[in-house]
Amino acid sequence: MIYGKIWCVVKPSVGIPLFLSAVAIGSFAVHLALVTNTTWVKDFLQGGQKTAAAQPQAVKK
Amino acid sequence: MADPNKVWPTGLTEAESEEIHRNLIQGTQIFGMIAVLAHLLAYIYSPWLH
Repeated sequence: MIYGKIWCVVKPSVGIPLFLSAVAIGSFAVHLALVTNTTWVKDFLQGGQKTAAAQPQAVKK
Repeated sequence: MADPNKVWPTGLTEAESEEIHRNLIQGTQIFGMIAVLAHLLAYIYSPWLH
């Protein structure tokens, strides 16, 4: 396996938490950027858009 | 690298290192598959990228 011998020179107790932290922090940063730089996330999580949009049509009838 | 029983500075042999690496790769693959599924669901059911 490629790079399989890395744990001969990097302590797993250091390398594995570092790797998992990098994944977690990277993922969190991307999702935070999405939430803070777009407008639709709040509306989507709020829900009820379908019924709110459908109501005016029902009133028109 | 010739001696398979050599204990390296981290206290592991090459075989032990490869075993850890196999499990880490497998965990990464499972995480990746779950992430792909989650993103697919997010794409289908949320306004993301629409």
